[in-house]
Amino acid sequence: MYSFDMESPSTVADAAKALGQDEAQALGGGQTLIPTLKQRLASPSVLVSLAGIAEMKGVCTADDGSLAIGGGTTHATVAAEAGAYAALAALAGNIGDPAVRNRGTIGGSLANNDPSACYPSAALGSGATIVTNKREIAADDYFQGMFATALDEGEIITEVRFPVPEKASYMKFEQPASRFALVGVFVAKYADGVRVAVTGASEEGVYRWSEAEAALSANFSADAVPAAPSGDGMISDLHASGDYRAHLVGVMTKRAVAAAS
Amino acid sequence: MSVAKPLPHDAARLHVTGSARYVDDIPTPAGCLHLAFGLAEIASGTIARIDLDQTRSAPGVVGVWCAKDLPTDCDCSPSAHDEPLLSDDSIHYLGQPVFLVAATSHLAARKAVALASITYEERKPILSIDEALEAGSHFEEGPRIWQKGDAEQAIQSAPHRLDGEIEIGGQEHFYLEGQAALAVPQEGGDMLVHSSTQHPTEIQHKVAHALDIPMHAVRVETRRMGGGFGGKESQGNALAIACAVVALQTGKPAKMRYDRDDDFMVTGKRHDFRIHYSAGFDAKGRLQGLAFTQYARCGWAQDLSLPVADRAMLHATNAYFVPNVRIESHRLKTNTQSATAFRGFGGPQGMLGMERVMDHVAHHLDLDPTAVRQANYFGSDQNAVPAAVQTTPYGQPVEEFALGEMTKALIESSDFKARQDAVRAWNETQPVLKKGLALTPVMFGISFTLTHLNQAGALVHVYQDGSIHLNHGGTEMGQGLFQKVAQVAASRFGVGLETIKITATDTAKVPNTSATAASSGSDLNGMAVLAACDTIRNRMADHLAQLWQVPSDKIAFGDTSVTDGNRTISFAEAAKLCYEGRISLSSTGFYRTPKLEWDRLRGQGRPFFYFAYGVSASEVVVDTLSGEYRILRADILHDCGASLNPALDIGQIEGGFVQGAGWLTTEELVWDDKGRLRTHAPSTYKIPACSDRPDVFNVALWDGANQEDTIYRSKAVGEPPFMHGISVLMALSDAVASCGRGYPDLNAPATPERVLAAVRRVQNEL
Repeated sequence: MYSFDMESPSTVADAAKALGQDEAQALGGGQTLIPTLKQRLASPSVLVSLAGIAEMKGVCTADDGSLAIGGGTTHATVAAEAGAYAALAALAGNIGDPAVRNRGTIGGSLANNDPSACYPSAALGSGATIVTNKREIAADDYFQGMFATALDEGEIITEVRFPVPEKASYMKFEQPASRFALVGVFVAKYADGVRVAVTGASEEGVYRWSEAEAALSANFSADAVPAAPSGDGMISDLHASGDYRAHLVGVMTKRAVAAAS
Repeated sequence: MSVAKPLPHDAARLHVTGSARYVDDIPTPAGCLHLAFGLAEIASGTIARIDLDQTRSAPGVVGVWCAKDLPTDCDCSPSAHDEPLLSDDSIHYLGQPVFLVAATSHLAARKAVALASITYEERKPILSIDEALEAGSHFEEGPRIWQKGDAEQAIQSAPHRLDGEIEIGGQEHFYLEGQAALAVPQEGGDMLVHSSTQHPTEIQHKVAHALDIPMHAVRVETRRMGGGFGGKESQGNALAIACAVVALQTGKPAKMRYDRDDDFMVTGKRHDFRIHYSAGFDAKGRLQGLAFTQYARCGWAQDLSLPVADRAMLHATNAYFVPNVRIESHRLKTNTQSATAFRGFGGPQGMLGMERVMDHVAHHLDLDPTAVRQANYFGSDQNAVPAAVQTTPYGQPVEEFALGEMTKALIESSDFKARQDAVRAWNETQPVLKKGLALTPVMFGISFTLTHLNQAGALVHVYQDGSIHLNHGGTEMGQGLFQKVAQVAASRFGVGLETIKITATDTAKVPNTSATAASSGSDLNGMAVLAACDTIRNRMADHLAQLWQVPSDKIAFGDTSVTDGNRTISFAEAAKLCYEGRISLSSTGFYRTPKLEWDRLRGQGRPFFYFAYGVSASEVVVDTLSGEYRILRADILHDCGASLNPALDIGQIEGGFVQGAGWLTTEELVWDDKGRLRTHAPSTYKIPACSDRPDVFNVALWDGANQEDTIYRSKAVGEPPFMHGISVLMALSDAVASCGRGYPDLNAPATPERVLAAVRRVQNEL
């Protein structure tokens, strides 16, 4: 780890100001960033911890009925308090291990957009709105490939709003050692159609499987899930081939549809 | 008598309260230095330029050593003198230690290592079995071949024949406590080394060689390891030597422990194998001729690869009588970590090759695999040759064969036949989840195949207050050896275990010991302790007989007392009387295993004192859509002879099964095309956890005494149960086979991706 300064603001405004400094970097729960720093793969001059900002924490139902989660809310809190969106609470409760869930935050996960993380599939699969200190970004516009998002330098995710679907489920095929998603599929059925978001599989990061969405919007049953996508463009690494991941996209989608409630 | 009682591990309380002391817990003297290696970043080539200026000037750094700075070559090899501690500018694998840093803290040493700048001239590394074969990169002069009868002719003339091949992955030891050593310089150039090692005498020998001093100037102490599994038989040498060199040259204590990632990158693992087989058999699956070609990837240095590959050959036919056998073994030299000892020592790989043949033959003939196994057992009544003269492929007569009865007993106790029917019925109706059930035997030879290693020593003192100090050459790695040996001592003196002090293994107390390996710990050390105890007990009996004017054979020890039938005094009083009578209450004990005779070049003789037996049945369920699976149930019947301690033995069996199942299922080592091990942490390499054990897990001991005269007629238990994991792979094969007509042809580890591929193959072969 290289040396850096640390700031711990207590308001979003102060945090935004602190992030205006040269080479400043926001710190959520640190579950990705701290190991990255330890490996010397990043060298921020200032770390701005968002952990002390009360206004960014908590779970509530918004006026429009959507579930609003503060960007600084830990996975453990979401697991415990997002009962209004059971599939989302279940997803949060199965990320990593207790240490990760007690430190990691939803804002941190979405800002990082790891191609094998769970949360991006929930946000994209729910058509969530990513609220920052500057604007609101639709999930469809937010994810821009592996580790890439629509966030500007210094922009902070303060809240994520999830429209609550009629039915939803997340199915994760775990890489058994790390418990990251080898493939994870989030399926959500809304009145106006079904969304299917896939994480862990594509070299482009989380994506919507549109063929499955179309088929499931017409007939929401596991039998309607189309044949698995091709392995082209899927991640091939030491844990699985691209073809196997592509195959699992089909399997996990069917399981998610069957389990959706 | 404390022998045969299911007593808990002597240090169980210390383990669970965190107060058991390991090497890294030993309070170090002031000024202790901490060491770290700088590791090679390429797999093959030479060092073009090395710049360690920044490393030398880093905060806390006290010294930096390259090969030329060492007092000798500091060879770390247990065998062929081919492992210099630090690279001599040639690089043989990615992860090879190149330089050594001593600093004021562990972290400072590691940080300083990262500042080094090394440029290399790279060569194309030899990584795979195929590359090694193509390059003719062997250890020894070429393949070793053992034969019995005429395998080729027998295969050709058999009614049925088949060929096949299985790839078998390696395995990281993943001992909970990583490699560690601490060297404390003594006066006059002597050295005290604390080492997490299964082989203190080897550490002593290698440190003495490195420092160019006699072995008497080096003392090695090992209280316990947090797991060894063979990974601390030779792999601790480098750390101990490095610490001793630094301690000698700086006059300060020096400690080294590998970070877990470094431990993965530097140290050897289980050998991965490819085994090709040709089998000739009759309509009942009885083998008439069998030919194996075993390819072992040994890594860059010889280490223990020759005896490991020998043991794979020795177990190549497992529990089966095969009249004509040919086994060809290639020991391939590659630019990877030097593969080393791991629980079973090649035996599991050889045995898996045979179980694969059984599975394949049964599938080929559409017979029940269990029936095919039973038909091929030694002593099977279907065999033409009488049981008494049946020999292994290497000519050892099988004088005792428990598996026939044990298999029947397990089939009964596990309700195997009914469950087989239930599995078949399930598979006929269930389209997605397929179940599999398989039973596999274990017949494991007990003794070091290097015959002279089969010896052990002990040192026992009885103090004048009746308390007893016990020491022997074996090491404690969590397996419970110390408790078993203490039970022997307590039984000989007729005292309770609280009377016995179990002490750290120490080369100054018992010299010239063998590694605690080959499952031999309690067999060898138990007998040595017994000899020492009996020497003292006989002296005590003689003295008391003289005092009491009775014959010596009237003196009996038991219930913490000594009696001649009329008088009874406490053991402590007896000790005091003997002390006052000027009787020596200290003795060494020595044991050498009898009956061994082995010619490894010819592959003929009696390498093993006896065989340990076991049989297991595993049931699995496979999701044929994803390849995922679970172990639903395992039943194991295992032969520990007359168990010294049933609780410890059952613990070894349960742990062995889970570790063996992990080897064949989730534990996958992946090297990239540069020779870099990509699975070097628990985030990428998955060992089974407690939660991965089967929900139904029945382990029982086979009730029987060892036919050979071992310690209280017990049998060794360290390695044999590991191979019960093979039944899991065979159960997976059974489940996959139910998907179609093809043979599953499952390689190990059977990851979900491989299982799915096998399902597809089987489904597509109509």
